[in-house]
Amino acid sequence: MDFKSQFKEGLITNNPVLVQLLGLCSTMAITTSFFNGLGMGIAVTIILTLSNIIIAAIRNIVPDKIRIAMFIVVIAGFVTMVDLLLQAFVPALSESLGVFIPLIVVNCIILGRAESFSYKNGVAASAVDGICQGIGYTVVLLVMCVIREFLGAGTFGGGILGPGGIFDGGALGAGKGITILPEQYPMKLLTLPVGGFIVLAVLIAAMQWALERSKAKAEKEAAEV
Amino acid sequence: MSAEVKENAKVSMDPKYIATLTVRLFGTCLVVAFLLGLVNMVTLPNITARKKAATDAALKQVVENPDASEFSDALELSDDMTAAASGAGATLSALYAVTEDAAPAGYAFTVVSSGSQGNIEMMVGVDEADVVTGVSIVSNSETPGIGSKVMGNEPTASGTPVLDQFIGKSPEDGALTVGGNIDGISGATVSSRGVTTGVNAALAVAALMD
Repeated sequence: MDFKSQFKEGLITNNPVLVQLLGLCSTMAITTSFFNGLGMGIAVTIILTLSNIIIAAIRNIVPDKIRIAMFIVVIAGFVTMVDLLLQAFVPALSESLGVFIPLIVVNCIILGRAESFSYKNGVAASAVDGICQGIGYTVVLLVMCVIREFLGAGTFGGGILGPGGIFDGGALGAGKGITILPEQYPMKLLTLPVGGFIVLAVLIAAMQWALERSKAKAEKEAAEV
Repeated sequence: MSAEVKENAKVSMDPKYIATLTVRLFGTCLVVAFLLGLVNMVTLPNITARKKAATDAALKQVVENPDASEFSDALELSDDMTAAASGAGATLSALYAVTEDAAPAGYAFTVVSSGSQGNIEMMVGVDEADVVTGVSIVSNSETPGIGSKVMGNEPTASGTPVLDQFIGKSPEDGALTVGGNIDGISGATVSSRGVTTGVNAALAVAALMD
């Protein structure tokens, strides 16, 4: 297994959101403040890694024809257990991340990676894949959060920084963010779902352009040699 | 149907293979269900205790004088009450009598209405004259960043926090509607409506009391 190439795949060449186009629903719904992006990103990374490990471990007893059904049962059961355990024993974490966890059951990145990677690879490689894909997802979320929050609300670091945030004695997820643009300038449109579509489309286009360019460059170099 | 397709259909109908699939899937479900039950058993007491604490805190938020108020245990719900609540579009799940220095001071209702992502469980307090004294959210699964603005009592376009505008409303205001006598939060109309429905249901039940 090759950690470096898997990392590059998860972050850039096979990014779950921008290249595989998985998990778009959650991406657009929650990327309105920095904390939401970070919370969802961390929750998905942890659960994706663990579910990849489980799927890889049981892949030899899963018959081909009913694999999707079995993945769903295992993933939904596992996520529910994590949710219950967090609620009972780590209430503070559950308060701030709890809303994201039920959303993860229906996040198709988890099922997508089970189907396309961990069903065909070993436990260790699947764990690495979970971490790398999770980081790729988190980075895209954060980029979208920063853009939408800045242009839509004129703030940075919503939920963590600013008045009522953790450095102001508040709880996680309570901060209003540091105001950068005065109140009359932000485009409220960008915080609404339609703004999510627009920002995501721009990011996907930019990613495809960059990938095409680096591919063309590599081909040109190969031709010259 | 071509011969090949028929052949495929025949292969997948092999009883032995079907039995394997059934047993494996059933086994997986059984194991997952057993583990879920186990986790539920371990976590239930803790979760119930946390919910109880959240209920008490929510009750304190919806009365006029939180420090002087005392709350009864959940009262028994009559068929009339549940019918009045469901007539207004929400479900009444609990009812507490509020007393202030031993004098009756109204009621607090736990009502459940549907939001955009699932149920919104909220607490609505009314005084003896059926005037709303407060609304607070007990639990919800509204979309973070959109519906959660309503749940977090953020200000509407007019500047009043969205949940606070219900205070002072009574059955005399008629049915409360978003866009009519209640301002929603833009982008979160469904969540705003969910809360409004809950308050209407609480007022409908309050009209039956005393």
